[in-house]
Amino acid sequence: MSETTSALLTGFGVALAPINLLWGFIGVTLGTAVGVLPGVGPALTVAMLLPLTVKLDPTGALIMFAGIYYGAMYGGSTTTILLNTPGESASIATALEGNRMAKRGRAGPALATAAIGSFVAGTIATLLLTLLAPVVVEIALKFGPTEYFALMVFAFVTVAAVLGASTVRGLTSLFVGLLLGLVGIDEQTGQMRFAFGVPELLDGIDVVVLAVGLFAVGEALYVAAYQSRIREQMQPMSGSLWMTREDWRRSWPAWLRATAIGFPFGTIPAGGAEIPTFLSYATEKKLSKHPEEFGNGAIEGVAGPEAANNAAATGVLVPLLTLGIPTSATAAILLAAFQNYGLQPGPLLFQTQGALVWGLIASLYVGNVLLLVLNLPLIGLWVKVLQIPKPLLYGGILVFATLGAFSLHQSVVDLATLYVFGLLGFLMRRWGFPVAPAVIGLILGPLAESQFRRALAISQGDPSVFFTHPISAALLALTAALVLVPWLVRVWREWRARRSSAPAHG
Amino acid sequence: MPSARRGSRAERIISFGVLALGIAAAIVAWRLPEAGGYARIGPNFVPKLIAGGLIVLGVWLLAECLTGGWRAPVADDAGERGEHPFVPRAFAWVSAGLLAQMVLISTAGFVIAAAALFVCVARGFGSARWLRDLAAGLAIGLAVFAFFVHFLNVNLPAGWLKPLLGAAGI
Repeated sequence: MSETTSALLTGFGVALAPINLLWGFIGVTLGTAVGVLPGVGPALTVAMLLPLTVKLDPTGALIMFAGIYYGAMYGGSTTTILLNTPGESASIATALEGNRMAKRGRAGPALATAAIGSFVAGTIATLLLTLLAPVVVEIALKFGPTEYFALMVFAFVTVAAVLGASTVRGLTSLFVGLLLGLVGIDEQTGQMRFAFGVPELLDGIDVVVLAVGLFAVGEALYVAAYQSRIREQMQPMSGSLWMTREDWRRSWPAWLRATAIGFPFGTIPAGGAEIPTFLSYATEKKLSKHPEEFGNGAIEGVAGPEAANNAAATGVLVPLLTLGIPTSATAAILLAAFQNYGLQPGPLLFQTQGALVWGLIASLYVGNVLLLVLNLPLIGLWVKVLQIPKPLLYGGILVFATLGAFSLHQSVVDLATLYVFGLLGFLMRRWGFPVAPAVIGLILGPLAESQFRRALAISQGDPSVFFTHPISAALLALTAALVLVPWLVRVWREWRARRSSAPAHG
Repeated sequence: MPSARRGSRAERIISFGVLALGIAAAIVAWRLPEAGGYARIGPNFVPKLIAGGLIVLGVWLLAECLTGGWRAPVADDAGERGEHPFVPRAFAWVSAGLLAQMVLISTAGFVIAAAALFVCVARGFGSARWLRDLAAGLAIGLAVFAFFVHFLNVNLPAGWLKPLLGAAGI
């Protein structure tokens, strides 16, 4: 405990150093400004801003990234409330009530409860992260390759199969990502795989190119083709930003409940903030004394989901920092940012790079405060950003997106790859394949493969190790149950429905 | 009768596409050397697993498609999704912008390529103001170029504007 305190104090020493404070400040500002743009979610924000940090030292860069990560989330909530185009699925719940509030002239309190709720949830969740991380690290240090591999399989399956609307489409997205992860030189033997002699492919496919291709190019193609001729109605910024006493009374219990829902969901490798935001929304609706307001702009319906969203986003950092396992698309890109500096997040990083990791955690506290101070006063500026016409907006997004891909190797091949991923993203968006599993598969696949091969090398090729080590066996059994149980339930229901409807037809 | 719904043609094509991808990956994977050595797990083992997975998923998608269509599908009708019908011109303009940039970036340089991309994308999103878009594209391209070259020391191709940019001290 006291060890954690002193480590965190060291961290604050790093995070509050003027230069790092500046990087944090730039991070939250850029993150919010880009996150506000309609159609730009946190994952794309982080991916597009990654090239900006190439010349920074790792600590500064990662602190800036933490700021971008949080800023993008705050920015997204502003867009959702004023424009009703949720940038990511986790904002849909906010859109339900927040936009209604704005329509009734209560945009101010909606933005305020989202911002303050995010601050409260983000700070409590960061505190929980601080307390939980050393415990997980302690456990993770005992993990061997077998346990790691099982854990990664668990993460793959929860992210791909359990979260989305369709198990098979989630898994397909994951396997496409895994296949892309194979491209390049095999680390252990130096064997070229799936590179087809193209020198640019030998280094493997960069996660930034895939993420930007799917999220920016694919999204631009999709929006142009299906949404560009729709006029969106922006709600004017109306109403005082101040929340009334009644607003506060109704908001704070929602913030706290949502934190309690969001954080655990973020920490288990089940990624994504989608489920906790909807759970929080449902909870608030059930507990509210004003259920009739839900659907017409109930403040709890903004306060809860926004807080849950932020708490989950912080929770996602627990498996990322302590185990090196990203469970959301944004976390996958953050992992890529670490790897750019030759750092592999995980328990060892807490020992070898303690100052960096704790500095990063401390900067999360700082970032939350900066955002609260920045976001509400600057709301007028964000509203202006929202008014950029779509043609200019998407023109700009694509210039920056292609810049990010091109600046990696100064190669036209990367631009061509980007376009191919854009077409893939278009298809996935149109036919309902989730994108995050592909991004996670690309970056986590090679790590899982090397753990797999290491585990088998230790066991001298005996694959039963995965089932005889208790932790690994338990994780794999849990994984199988997560896929099979819902499937069996569905098959059984379909069968029962068919049997009961058969006599009715004669 | 909604229960008799068959998967759409697109669903069939995509299902076959995933299956084909799996088969192609399997062919490549089987040609990789064993070189397993110690644990007999060579660089070809995991590729085989992944290719096998894709084949299974392709078959699974196809099965869903043939037995009532994909489960939990995205609506085929754009109106149902709250969108307008597919606009081929918009799709083509955005694609053209990206292709133009690929062609131009090594010869004409980053700024011109970025401006071309910007103008085409804006056109795809329904803008009819070529000149404004061109001006905005050039301005963004120049600003990004200056920032990257000066502050980040990242080289971007100057191309045809090299003499001009050089004279301006960028």
